[in-house]
Amino acid sequence: HRRLPAVIPTPPVSASPFPNPKSQYCCLSRNFSAALTPLLPVQLPSRMETHLWYVVPDEVKSAPLLSKYMELLPQSERDHVLGFRGDQLQKSALLARTLVRTTIARYQVDGHLDPRSLRFKRNIHGKPEVEWETKDGFCPPPLQFNISHTSSLVACGVTMNSLIGIDVEEKRRRTKNNILAFAKRYFTAHEVEHLNAIPDSELQQQEFIKLWTLKEAYVKALGKGFSSSPFNTFTIRVNTAAQESFCASSGIAVETLDSPQNLTNNWQFALLELMGSHYVAICLERQETGGAGKAFPIKLTARKTIPSVEDELVSGTNAVVTIGGSVTQF
Amino acid sequence: MASITRASVSMPSLSTSVNQSQRRISVMNSVSFPVSGRSMIPSLRLQRGLQVCCAAKQETVDKVVAIVKKQLALPADAAVTGESKFAALGADSLDTVEIVMGLEEEFDITVEEESAQSITTVQEAADMIEKLVEK
Repeated sequence: HRRLPAVIPTPPVSASPFPNPKSQYCCLSRNFSAALTPLLPVQLPSRMETHLWYVVPDEVKSAPLLSKYMELLPQSERDHVLGFRGDQLQKSALLARTLVRTTIARYQVDGHLDPRSLRFKRNIHGKPEVEWETKDGFCPPPLQFNISHTSSLVACGVTMNSLIGIDVEEKRRRTKNNILAFAKRYFTAHEVEHLNAIPDSELQQQEFIKLWTLKEAYVKALGKGFSSSPFNTFTIRVNTAAQESFCASSGIAVETLDSPQNLTNNWQFALLELMGSHYVAICLERQETGGAGKAFPIKLTARKTIPSVEDELVSGTNAVVTIGGSVTQF
Repeated sequence: MASITRASVSMPSLSTSVNQSQRRISVMNSVSFPVSGRSMIPSLRLQRGLQVCCAAKQETVDKVVAIVKKQLALPADAAVTGESKFAALGADSLDTVEIVMGLEEEFDITVEEESAQSITTVQEAADMIEKLVEK
């Protein structure tokens, strides 16, 4: 690859779909044509912020666009994408890799960052991380990210400093097994009770999915692999007195079985309903607390994107509804 | 739901990795062994000359394949073999846990969550089942 220099007088004439972003900032053309518009650069999240980016695969239909995305990936990632069985799975895998690369590239940590130039590695437990180029004077930012995808949604969460885990799922996802049988086998007793107390089977199924995504998000935030935190070793507790299910003011907390008296205060959660169709669970390492151990709310900025085509700020709209945890949307 | 955390970076193309002789065995056996039913048929030690690998019995693999196809709603004629990776077939983490739960019921075993998380292919599932069944 060729790293673009920080300032150039004219955009380079090349096949790169990502010319110098400084040359233009407006890229909101809805009619996609062969030329990609530059990625809109974004300020790094502040220490207290979480950025959520997502792509809706059904809205990305252009074959030339998908080929351009493929060109962003190194050969190993292309092979990985092509290893999935069938177009739909390949597409969401491609969009997941594209989303993470283009999203991190927007933060332009070191002058311009070509999405193709990013390298990823896994930590000792398999959690993906950016492998920043080490060069003199360059201090890599403590940018943290996590991805999740289903065939109908691909999402990436980004923070500065805070470990983050996210998980997305369709609201109407059904398990093949009976929910309570599944929960008895894999969740904790408290969670089984919580589900059992819900008389309506539709609501019960949705609560199950909410719990599942929160538990996944927690394990992914921990970054130590699923085998280090089996689902029946920690409980997701919802702090509502009389209510049976999540609501916007409910606090969500995690309690690990090995220290039950001690609600683990290190982690805070958000549960969102996206586009009325998906649940997104976010788990963050708590950075600071307000007085008396109370956490600050999660400051969330959410953007829907088709990388290099359009971005749409959706936080604060009804596309992103907080249904659990303490969240302020910007 | 599927996350990048666990998927391996490079994967063989599924069409080239299917072993021709395995496919033939699978076709021969799929009719003879019932998929449902809790007890394993006492193993028939037939001399199947094509079965070179000393891993799990073909009937175990076939049962795993059936459970995987059911969980992932794959057509009956979908090419799924021992080498097939769950993730490549579209299984996310919830599917994988459901598959393991289905295997526990089918084979009357208990799979520790730590082991469950390390199963990524049909063959690995079949091998693990046989180890547990032997106990």
